Amino acid sequence: MPTINFSLKDLSNLIGKKINEKELKNLLEYAKAELSNIDGDEVSVQFNDTNQPYLWCTEGLAVLFRGILGKERGIPDVKIEKSDYKVIVDRSVKSVRPFICAFVAKEGKIDDFFLKQLIQLQEKFCDNFGRRREKVAIGVYPCKKISFPVYYKAVPPKSVRFIPLDFSKDMNLAEILEEHPKGKEFSWILKDTKKYPLLSDSNNDILSFPPIINSNDMGKLEISDNELFFEATGTDLKSVNLAANIFAHALFIRGFKIYSVKISYTGKSMISPDSSIEKHKLNKEDISKLLGLNLKDSEIKKFLEMARFNFNNAIVEIPCFRNDIMHSVDIIEDIGIMYGFDNIAAAPLANYTVGNTFSLQENIDKIRDIIAGMGYQEILSPILTSKETLIDRMNIKRALDVIEINNPMSAGFSVVRSWIIPGLMDVLMRNKHVDFPQKVFEQGLVNVHNNDVVNDNENTAGISTHINASFTEARQAVDAILRICGVEALYEDFDHSSFISGRVAKVLVKNKEVGFVGEIHPFVLNAWGLDMPVAGFELNLSELFKIIK
Amino acid sequence: MADIKKLIDTLHLLERKVLPVLGSYKTLPEIVSATGLKEVEVMRALQWLENKKIVRISTELKEVASLDKNGLRYVKSGLPERLFVNALKARELSISRLEKITKLSKDELNSCLGILRKKAMVVIIKNKELRVKLTDEGLKWLKKEFLEEKFLKNVFPLDIKSLQPEEQFALQNLKKRKNIIRVEMQKLKHVKLLAKGNDILSQGLGDDKVIDVLRPELLRSGEWRNKSFRRYDVSINVPKIWPGKKQTYRIFLDDVRKKFLSLGFSEMTGPLVESEFWNMDSLFMPQFHSARDIHDALYVKEPKRAKLDEALVKRVKAAHENGFGTGSKGWDYEFDTARTHRLVLRSQGTACSARMLASDDLKIPGKYFGITRCFRKDVVDATHNADFYQIEGIVIEKGLTLSHLFGLLRMFAREFAGADEVKIVPGYFPFTEPSVELFARHPEMGWIELGGAGIFRPELVKPLTGKDISVIAWGIGIDRIAMFKLGIKDIRCLFSHDLEFLRNQKVIGCLQ
Repeated sequence: MPTINFSLKDLSNLIGKKINEKELKNLLEYAKAELSNIDGDEVSVQFNDTNQPYLWCTEGLAVLFRGILGKERGIPDVKIEKSDYKVIVDRSVKSVRPFICAFVAKEGKIDDFFLKQLIQLQEKFCDNFGRRREKVAIGVYPCKKISFPVYYKAVPPKSVRFIPLDFSKDMNLAEILEEHPKGKEFSWILKDTKKYPLLSDSNNDILSFPPIINSNDMGKLEISDNELFFEATGTDLKSVNLAANIFAHALFIRGFKIYSVKISYTGKSMISPDSSIEKHKLNKEDISKLLGLNLKDSEIKKFLEMARFNFNNAIVEIPCFRNDIMHSVDIIEDIGIMYGFDNIAAAPLANYTVGNTFSLQENIDKIRDIIAGMGYQEILSPILTSKETLIDRMNIKRALDVIEINNPMSAGFSVVRSWIIPGLMDVLMRNKHVDFPQKVFEQGLVNVHNNDVVNDNENTAGISTHINASFTEARQAVDAILRICGVEALYEDFDHSSFISGRVAKVLVKNKEVGFVGEIHPFVLNAWGLDMPVAGFELNLSELFKIIK
Repeated sequence: MADIKKLIDTLHLLERKVLPVLGSYKTLPEIVSATGLKEVEVMRALQWLENKKIVRISTELKEVASLDKNGLRYVKSGLPERLFVNALKARELSISRLEKITKLSKDELNSCLGILRKKAMVVIIKNKELRVKLTDEGLKWLKKEFLEEKFLKNVFPLDIKSLQPEEQFALQNLKKRKNIIRVEMQKLKHVKLLAKGNDILSQGLGDDKVIDVLRPELLRSGEWRNKSFRRYDVSINVPKIWPGKKQTYRIFLDDVRKKFLSLGFSEMTGPLVESEFWNMDSLFMPQFHSARDIHDALYVKEPKRAKLDEALVKRVKAAHENGFGTGSKGWDYEFDTARTHRLVLRSQGTACSARMLASDDLKIPGKYFGITRCFRKDVVDATHNADFYQIEGIVIEKGLTLSHLFGLLRMFAREFAGADEVKIVPGYFPFTEPSVELFARHPEMGWIELGGAGIFRPELVKPLTGKDISVIAWGIGIDRIAMFKLGIKDIRCLFSHDLEFLRNQKVIGCLQ
């Protein structure tokens, strides 16, 4: 979720009305944003909606807020003038980074506020919407240095050299990826290609190496520049064009004149940016179906125009800086927001329904009561744990059925627990100074995989530690649980390396294994740093209640 | 006087034995020997008496003399010189003969000779062998007690300061000898009778045939009818016990479950290890969505591929690519069918809602909730757990609108946060449109963010249910309320392994 910073005074100037903190908070609700900090004139805002990047700058917010405040209505009137500027796209980029959009902005003034917004919008757009520059990357250049046409092509990594931004020596593209901080940060985008994208002009001066870095000579913006060349490259034409439209609007609002650029692909050409208006037919019934409101056409028009759409004869026109409209519901939501959620009455649910839970859930709760009744304190542990806890410290040599995480945050949270006792051992380890006897239990999900199948089981386990902790005590607990469940259990000698051999039993109900019970092996006690005997049990409740049913 | 009588009734058997000797004996060793009780029993009784303000125990650091191993032996057998003298009587005996009679060691015999000669009590006659005979002075002592013997009759340990001059002399003599007396600094307990104690003694303890423990024989014989019961001091502290009990956060979640059931919601569930299909794709979250990054979800190593209903996958694929005939453009990209089969740890409870919608068990109208364990790739700290519970659900019935959603959220605010005042603002979730966020004014916590909700997008509902029907989806975040109710500041404490903390956690009033 992107966060942007801006000046409240700058925003007020763009809106044409002085906005205070309270008004700002209220306006931000319409933008699905929250005020995260305000310090004098400096404001910090967080956006929940990741699909409306046009709002991630003062200029975009001003467009929306002017609509809400009634300063302007409908789609902003942004003029894009024709020009002879041209970008020639070589077919070599097709398999690397196929699309580019561009425009030129003139006769404006870059001030401090605007330069900051421009850089911030570029960052936020590329980071969030542009998927960390993979899908969209943006470059802005002082236009006067460029001699058109501009060429967009893919070249071998070592075939060209230039001085990257904020460096003093020239490097080839491979060196930039290895040595420049931006190269290191974004080299992953190009890891599968043999040729790298390059923008240069007709003098063969290099503008940039998209999506990595601009040239220090050609691609460095200064406050004094009043003519800009904008380009966006990427893997998705719509997103690249959206970037161009959003920036063109921002610059237009700052007083620049916008000139289109002709993009020549092999065999076809297009005018960039494509700021054509998309149309969407809106069915009035759909509005009342979703919002529960019966609105008049004039109201619908008013609310849509506030949200900076146009509306005529049941047709909604969508501004070119929005590409988040897939379905009528997306437009209807904006109508609802402009109508005001505070004005929508709450209605009760009309239908009567009966609440039910699973019989396993009900049985689990009863079992928990029984175990607590035997003096065990219930524990709740994280399900994510480590191999050390689950396997190594439990004296288990091999565990092929444990579910491992491919991209864990840390070793401590790298596997899904396959049984519960290890988590309870962790409790004992941490509480050696606490009053004895200590009896703890937990009930919860465990997971193992078996070939291609993952088994989810609701297990419960209890362990007890004190000077006389023994097999008998643990078996008494299992006996009691199963007796109360109305089943008889058989106990069969078996080997489990976490327990002392000859003091551990498999618990069988109707010839099916439902768990085990025993005295924990001194190897395990040592591994957990315990010097008191421990006995315990673990039962698979999912299996047990399948059998009982 | 009635108070004293009551106090007497509370006296334990041990106290009754100790109390009468306190008039004459003041130190612990004296009391022990006077009562014939074990030292621990006397101490216990004195402690109780002190708690009742009958006595005061003071501890003093004193130089005391106590018996060493030979001393202990001599108290029983008599001092070597006594044995020596007694063996001789009026006779003249050889040393070897004396050794046989007295069974003293050579060392002891030699030291006896030294001592007795010094006191001019024996003479040594040198013949073929050494012979010994008592002097007249020696014969006198046959019937008289040595100072050292007298000294050893004291009760040890002995306060050195309190000794008479001749006892001091005896002590000095014995100290010079091997392992008879040990002198050391010791804590000496003194007991002083307080006013209440004196009152009790002057009134007398009365009948000591009180019942201390009510035993079956007393009941069977009816003997209890003729006796009174010792009164207990019911106000004193007793040792702590730790009952078995359920974990408080789980009790909280149990309460939440009961609340949903009472509101007519049915429980839904799903697996922890979930396919990307159910976790995200079926929810119409595009495969390029930023929340699906390797940086947010936790992917599973094995198994590699989930088993899915391929016809359903096809419908969801179509929804992503072209809207599946819902009037939507879809996300307009090529849906990756291999990717939808990849397994992740469930990252949102909404996955269970999607499963419910596609299930044959779905009832319309229906209300469902899930209390589901979810996982995120988060750095674990005071406000983030990698592993947490989410409470989510759906309401499905014909003709649901945003108004009903608002009604539902108001009810949640009332039932789960005791809040009558709510604020509902626009929100964003990839699977709902409209989307809202719910803030509620909790009576104690003030304004809190209580949850998010919305109406599922048609591109989600139609492929899963085959219907054009509105489905309200909601999630409530009540961990903050849980933390508030349980009095904890760090979210990790919800999963605490601190036994003392867990044992002391209150269980009353979780959701109320």
